[in-house]
Amino acid sequence: MLERHCIQQRGFRNVEQDGKIVGFQINIRLVHYRGLWLSQLRPATVTVDGETFSGDQITWTINGVTYRQSELAERGDVHWGLLEPATLTVAKEGGLASGKHEVEVHFAFSSSYLPPVADTALGNRPHKRTLILV
Amino acid sequence: MSKQSVGKPKRGVSLYSYSAEYGVTMTLEDALAEIHSIGATGVEILANGHIEGYPNPSEEWLENWDRLIDKYKLVPAEYGHWVDSRMYQGRELTSQESYEMLIRDFKLANRMGFKVLRTKLGVIDNELTPVRNWREFIEMALPMAEKYDVRMCPEIHAPTLLKSKMVEDYVEFIEKTGTKHFGLNVDFGVFETNRLPESEWEPGAFIMPESEHSPVEDIIPLLPYVYCCHAKFVKMSDDFVEVTIPYEKIVQTLIEHNWDGYLISEYEGPWKNEPGYAVDQVRKQHVMLKRLLGE
Repeated sequence: MLERHCIQQRGFRNVEQDGKIVGFQINIRLVHYRGLWLSQLRPATVTVDGETFSGDQITWTINGVTYRQSELAERGDVHWGLLEPATLTVAKEGGLASGKHEVEVHFAFSSSYLPPVADTALGNRPHKRTLILV
Repeated sequence: MSKQSVGKPKRGVSLYSYSAEYGVTMTLEDALAEIHSIGATGVEILANGHIEGYPNPSEEWLENWDRLIDKYKLVPAEYGHWVDSRMYQGRELTSQESYEMLIRDFKLANRMGFKVLRTKLGVIDNELTPVRNWREFIEMALPMAEKYDVRMCPEIHAPTLLKSKMVEDYVEFIEKTGTKHFGLNVDFGVFETNRLPESEWEPGAFIMPESEHSPVEDIIPLLPYVYCCHAKFVKMSDDFVEVTIPYEKIVQTLIEHNWDGYLISEYEGPWKNEPGYAVDQVRKQHVMLKRLLGE
């Protein structure tokens, strides 16, 4: 089972590459009633303790495959399901310190069955949660 | 002898109603067990919500679906799917792309035992007018719908009226093609007679803008084309009455006209994301439906 919040505590960690900490990861779940194709997503921003990350500072990993944010728009062949948390990997040299962090994740998505003026209105709000990095 | 007589609507539930619980407090099996426990016999799933690994679920998942449907004695009543016309920014899907999307779902629906599909089309304006090429790709898909034994039903949803250009266009298409594989799903929100005061909604809730609604009798001439209904509801009172939609009249009208499709519960009221709330609301609605249906 997943945690109720969009932002999951489980999976919050720093990322190491070649012996150096190069960023951190946050798992999010899709709080919606249906899954989405990646091309329906709009790029996310992640804010941690007031510092905002966006664009290709963030990658999405869905079912073990990692996508750059700039390629989401073309990926109408990859589906993000409700039971599969997505991992956002954020590039930040040195990562985050062990302890408490105020995390905000914001992304939008298209709903073709809504009037075009309301295309990205559903679910378009920031998700905020205090996470503990061990 | 079954109590279920010919010509009477049947009770079902859309897994949409349990969205707040799914994957958090309820598994697919829990949701199906809940539907069974309230004596409903039909289930609606949303294909890309409830099929794990959509659009390519594993054989193991599909076999488990068969097992659950059997275990909880449920009928796969409606398969919700979408033709997401704005799938790619800056353009609409071509008829060929839309067709392929439809066929993919026909195959899955057929494998899972569904015969009625709630086919949601992309829209182009505030009146929810469907994409301009809908006739083209729906007509292209009719032979495959016949092959896979499925009926595509766009949902007639507020603010659309039952007497409207959109519904006339759908009926004209059905009559012109003579197809039995395209019909309608009427969402009971089109019959709303009382508006729930804004003060009853939770903070930040999405509230449907005010709009005109249809009288219940407007469904009568459409019934030959209605393969499923969304028993939309907004609030059940503690004495088991839906306070915004004239359910007694709707159910009576359906019984009088021997309509025997599924009424699929779709809770879309306040606090639907509050743990446990929608589950209780569905139970209350089924107390009402059971009474109105004389079960």
